[in-house]
Amino acid sequence: MALKFKTPMLDELEKGPWPSFVTDVKRMAARKPACEDWLGLMEMSYEHKEGHWKHGGIVGVFGYGGGVIGRYCDRPDLFPNVAHFHTMRVNQPASKFYNTDVLRKLCDMWDRRGSGLTNMHGSTGDIILLGTTTDQLEPVFYELTHDFGMDLGGSGSNLRTPEGCVGMARCEWSCIDTQALIYDLTMEYQDALHRPMFPYKFKFKASGCACDCVAAIARADCSIIGTWRDNIRIDQEAVRAYANGELVPQAGAHGSEKYKLDIKAEVVDLCPTRCMEWDGKNLKIWDEDCTRCMHCIRVMPRALRPGLDTGATILVGAKAPILEGAQLSSVVIPFMKMEPPYEEFKGFVEKMWDLWMEEGKNRERLGELIQRMGLREFLKACELTPDPRMVNTPRFNPYIFYDPAEVPGGWERDLKDFRSRHQA
Amino acid sequence: MSEEAKARIIEWVKQQKKTKHYFNDLCKAVPEIKMMQAKKIINELVNEGRLKYWSSGSTTMYMLPGQDDVAKEEKGMN
Amino acid sequence: MAFDPNNLLQDRITDIGPPKYDTFMPPIVKENWGKWKYHEILQPGVLVHVSETGAELFSVRVGAARLISTDLIRDICEVADKYCDGYLRFTTRNNVEFLVSDKNKLQPLLNDLKSRGNWFPVGGTGHSVTNIVHTQGWAHCHTPAIDASGVVKSVMDELFDYFGSHKLPAQVRIALACCLNMCGAVHCSDIAILGVHRKPPFIEHDRVQNVCEIPLVIAACPTAAIKPKKVGEYKSVEINNNRCMFCGNCYTMCPALPLADGEGDGIALWVGGKVSNVISAPMFSKLAVPYIPNEPPRWPTTVKTIKKIVETYAAGARRYERIGDWINRIGWERFFERTGIEFKHEHIDDYRLAMTTWRTTTQFKF
Repeated sequence: MALKFKTPMLDELEKGPWPSFVTDVKRMAARKPACEDWLGLMEMSYEHKEGHWKHGGIVGVFGYGGGVIGRYCDRPDLFPNVAHFHTMRVNQPASKFYNTDVLRKLCDMWDRRGSGLTNMHGSTGDIILLGTTTDQLEPVFYELTHDFGMDLGGSGSNLRTPEGCVGMARCEWSCIDTQALIYDLTMEYQDALHRPMFPYKFKFKASGCACDCVAAIARADCSIIGTWRDNIRIDQEAVRAYANGELVPQAGAHGSEKYKLDIKAEVVDLCPTRCMEWDGKNLKIWDEDCTRCMHCIRVMPRALRPGLDTGATILVGAKAPILEGAQLSSVVIPFMKMEPPYEEFKGFVEKMWDLWMEEGKNRERLGELIQRMGLREFLKACELTPDPRMVNTPRFNPYIFYDPAEVPGGWERDLKDFRSRHQA
Repeated sequence: MSEEAKARIIEWVKQQKKTKHYFNDLCKAVPEIKMMQAKKIINELVNEGRLKYWSSGSTTMYMLPGQDDVAKEEKGMN
Repeated sequence: MAFDPNNLLQDRITDIGPPKYDTFMPPIVKENWGKWKYHEILQPGVLVHVSETGAELFSVRVGAARLISTDLIRDICEVADKYCDGYLRFTTRNNVEFLVSDKNKLQPLLNDLKSRGNWFPVGGTGHSVTNIVHTQGWAHCHTPAIDASGVVKSVMDELFDYFGSHKLPAQVRIALACCLNMCGAVHCSDIAILGVHRKPPFIEHDRVQNVCEIPLVIAACPTAAIKPKKVGEYKSVEINNNRCMFCGNCYTMCPALPLADGEGDGIALWVGGKVSNVISAPMFSKLAVPYIPNEPPRWPTTVKTIKKIVETYAAGARRYERIGDWINRIGWERFFERTGIEFKHEHIDDYRLAMTTWRTTTQFKF
């Protein structure tokens, strides 16, 4: 079927070996007028080298302050079927496992009530239903809650949809049960997720190990990263098997051919703390010097495994550059056990939120507040004790803001007494 | 007490020049109430239809119903 | 009860959250929860996870666009029904993983995927270029400087061999954000593609007072560059263009301050970031190319430059070195020399904490 608009530029994106979103949407356009107009609008953007969407201000369904992003096309005269084209964020099941029944049902619903276009998934981790009209928002929400047992995700100044890595469901390195934790936090903080109370967005992300597959350390206001504090488990026989070329190093990440792994060159010498030694027969690890970077475990996964005394390192404050510049999360709790009902962790979270809500300026991310107030104020408010693991280096400027309470006698001094010893 | 606080919040919003307000601006109308508590009161105001949300996508604000540029947009006024 | 548009509160359900995480998991995953012993990548895109119980789960990873239609999801379902008892998952980087618990179905699945044209490229594991994570671009955003889906498609077409192979020194993670608000945080990627505006917004003085609330527009500017101003009869604003950092927040609040500009907008490329703590600590991506014009539909200069960076890295890095590790070893002077990218004044930081990035040692290379 011939489409309404010619799309010579987009057609160029049908070529090449990578899957083409243009071919995909064209197929839908045969039965969805919104897709047909969307293609026309995209072609126009390609010609103008400018986007053609306006922001809407719409937030959600009744009683919710998030979950919907309002969009209006700036050429409704030409593309009436995408004049209103709002996004709905649907909270994904943690780690994004699905069966085909639920996906098909979701597709049928979205064909009926929306454009038929989606993102699987958005940057937050949500299922993104892309493009519908205002009158469909409530019916979609009704169907999601009644027929799917699903709910909207976060947007705006809400808690954003928490996200975790694949975790113990399918990874031998996961030191914490990321799914259980993420689900628990999502359920506990539903109100914050749907109804804004924060100065700005707030993200929780949990990775099971230091490889950090959900990029928690780079983008979550509160990053939860699994770790252990006992010893790496070693199977010496398997180490020797790697050395003898009986096992594929790096689990095949560098090619599936077996070769005699040079344990000194590829493991020991690349260890950032040089905490291991290989004598040709046994691998010795000085675990007290290990910083648990995962390199040796990744190269010899059949021989080395994380320890058994597992928990999480809690870091806070990561964000993209706007406004004060990008920040990575900083360690504030070097180790914490992470087991249901996560009371200690939630106690920390609530203290942190109290501080941010009270002291944070509008549109100030937690990381910026900490930068403005200092980590010391943050630690104080969250009742945490300073620890060298929280810094790369102690300060190298001498400007310490002393608290009068910590100086004997405070700052109240007797001038007369001073002058009795010193002439003016 | 919560009815009285709700009234004060609405009154405060009506007095402002701006139509859209951040959560912690609304809290200034009831300074003696803890923010977590104020959140509950503000939620009720939204549920009662006396306040509405507005979102830029990255931040969310509160406004009185009827001052809504979404409605304007959809009537082709923008 | 059916939905009643006139009575939203009737039978309303709220705050139920997502389905519990194990609702849609295959039995093999539930049975081996926390018992996985090791994994191996059998070939690019094909993983096996082996449990302490002896169970084996095969995952076949395929690349997909982030923007996908319900028809494509139905195709994915058809494949999953045939070979995976209807189970699959998506990854954080928009890949699809078909979960096979019966080894006999693995090869037939791979054959089937191969028979379906370009839809399901297998790869994205190990030392490959994995799928590009990205934002909406012209497809759905109101402040984009570039398209997202089209740039990603063009780059992945060019790097396609690296998706389905393990020939790089380490994994290369590419991410794209269509403006500097970075709703998809790209600032710690091996290669980041960032849309940049370079012209401050227009001010439509005759519209501002009708469609915008001036105090809110002023408050929206992160650098306080906007002030109220009376222009003739109109209540409007003025913008200190020297302070504008092109975020588009004012346009979000006020449609009479449009920002997009076909000639001004374009792409900046950043390199050397990572999020993992493996060997080296997480790092930010640093500026490689400040500006490349928008060149739809295939963005040839961007594509060519990225390919050059990847190939220079592939040729010069040691095994396990991410792009950032490689650059740290050879030095930035060598990076610019070897990639042929010109070093300009934009590369030298002049924002806050700029001096922490200046060279304060005589150790450098000629």
